[in-house]
Amino acid sequence: MKKLRLLLIGLLLLVALSGCTKAETKTITAFVGSASKPPMEEAAAAFEKETGIKVYLNFGGSGAMLSQIELSKSGDLYIPGSPDYIIKAEKKDVIDTATVKEIAYLIPVIAVQHGNPKNIQSLADLARPGIAVGIGNPTAVCVGLYAIEIFDYNNLLADISKNIVVNAESCEKTATLISLKSVDAIIGWDVFHDWDPENIDVVYIPEEQLPRIAYIPGAITKFTADKDSARKFLDFLVSKEGQQIFQKWGYITSESDAKKFAPNAQIGGEYQLPSSYQP
Amino acid sequence: MFRILKGTGGERVFRVATISALALLALFFIGIVVSMLAYTHWDTFVSALFSKEILFAVRLSVTTATVAAIIAMLIAVPVAYAISRAHFWGKDVVDSLLDLPIVISPVALGAALLIFFNNPLGAAINNHVVKFVFAVPGIILAQVTVICALAIRLLKSTFDSIDPRYEQVARTLGSSKPEAFFRVTLPLARDGLVASGILTWARAVGEFGATVTLAGATAMKTETLPTAIFLSLGSADVEKAIAVIFVLIFIAVVALLVIRKIIGRRYQI
Repeated sequence: MKKLRLLLIGLLLLVALSGCTKAETKTITAFVGSASKPPMEEAAAAFEKETGIKVYLNFGGSGAMLSQIELSKSGDLYIPGSPDYIIKAEKKDVIDTATVKEIAYLIPVIAVQHGNPKNIQSLADLARPGIAVGIGNPTAVCVGLYAIEIFDYNNLLADISKNIVVNAESCEKTATLISLKSVDAIIGWDVFHDWDPENIDVVYIPEEQLPRIAYIPGAITKFTADKDSARKFLDFLVSKEGQQIFQKWGYITSESDAKKFAPNAQIGGEYQLPSSYQP
Repeated sequence: MFRILKGTGGERVFRVATISALALLALFFIGIVVSMLAYTHWDTFVSALFSKEILFAVRLSVTTATVAAIIAMLIAVPVAYAISRAHFWGKDVVDSLLDLPIVISPVALGAALLIFFNNPLGAAINNHVVKFVFAVPGIILAQVTVICALAIRLLKSTFDSIDPRYEQVARTLGSSKPEAFFRVTLPLARDGLVASGILTWARAVGEFGATVTLAGATAMKTETLPTAIFLSLGSADVEKAIAVIFVLIFIAVVALLVIRKIIGRRYQI
């Protein structure tokens, strides 16, 4: 009993002391939409190695991350999956709009199972009878909102809606729909192929059918406790080194490269679900 | 150390200690609810409450949870009885296996189910028998998977507490084994049956992880109340999320009160 108590006290001291030394290093917290999860983890590790500033990354849906910042009134950086959420964050007055930076670009694509077994080549193919289509939930997941926008823009919303069998609750869950062969096709981001090259193939949508492409924005929140470190991390993400990490994971990092996929598409902005939209 | 708790003074200390624990816990929950009230916008609240989407979610949650609880109880009664009474080789292993769903997080169970329906056998079931993936039966299957273990655990302790001698006596008086079970053991287990039925139902209403993974988060199709909360937070709509949380709390409180009223104060749950 006594030994146990001694052991416990020892452990407590250890924890307390190690806590003291850790307090010296700077830390920041970023709320990140999961569309940029793989490169963001690597970038945060590289940034810590270089500057000694530890970045805690919280991943989730872009909207869920915004809710967490809003409710906790904390967090240094907000990095959602698309600019729509920067506009929402602006309306809620939780970010400093002067700090917004464009980190990488995302092209909406049709993602299909490896080898394209159902031979889906175009948006019109998604309306074919017997094709099971999945999208992200358009009210909560940015890639789902883009899906509805694209269907709507090409007057295919009613036809494809008949084939939509599921709405996924997050961006990576949308990709998983294909990885697990749960559906035949989804509207996803071009990087989904790089996330899971063995299972996910992408079919690019012709430029005239793409109304808008997305970018991953980053902004410093109004609740930041260490604006300097937050700015440093944001600068790192758009620096050559940070951009190389994103490129390694298949992300497009320059606007001109993104424009190649859709020269006339709008970059960023906001899309409202049509009021006639019925889930 | 129990010396100080002797005598009437000790009794008072004990009483105060237990009651203040109760009061603190109650305050904790009341505090949480009040803090949500502070965040509530009443017009958003009312419009969210009576929106088609939320009314659908309420109906879906209540019906799926009720079906799931009935199925789970029908499975759990014989299973719990078998574990409680029968002795067979490897019983410990089977017993621990049945506890797994309590320990494993629901999202893992949902993923496991989704992967199961991806293999040839699962796909055949899904395509030719009942469509589970991304459909309402999937919600029920996910809920049953999660709550079954809970029902079994609760019922096992109920059956454990019933002396097998009652059954033996019934049999010496001419009952067959099934007769003894249905006319002696089951009525004796009524309290436990009611309690575990309520708890499993309540757990099914609140189930989220397995449900959303297997059935998806499609509005007006597979959107249960917890999914609605998750989606509202996901679209950064905190007011709507709070409205749905209150709906969930309301349903839970009403259901528990009604059930208690029906079965009377005799059953202490």
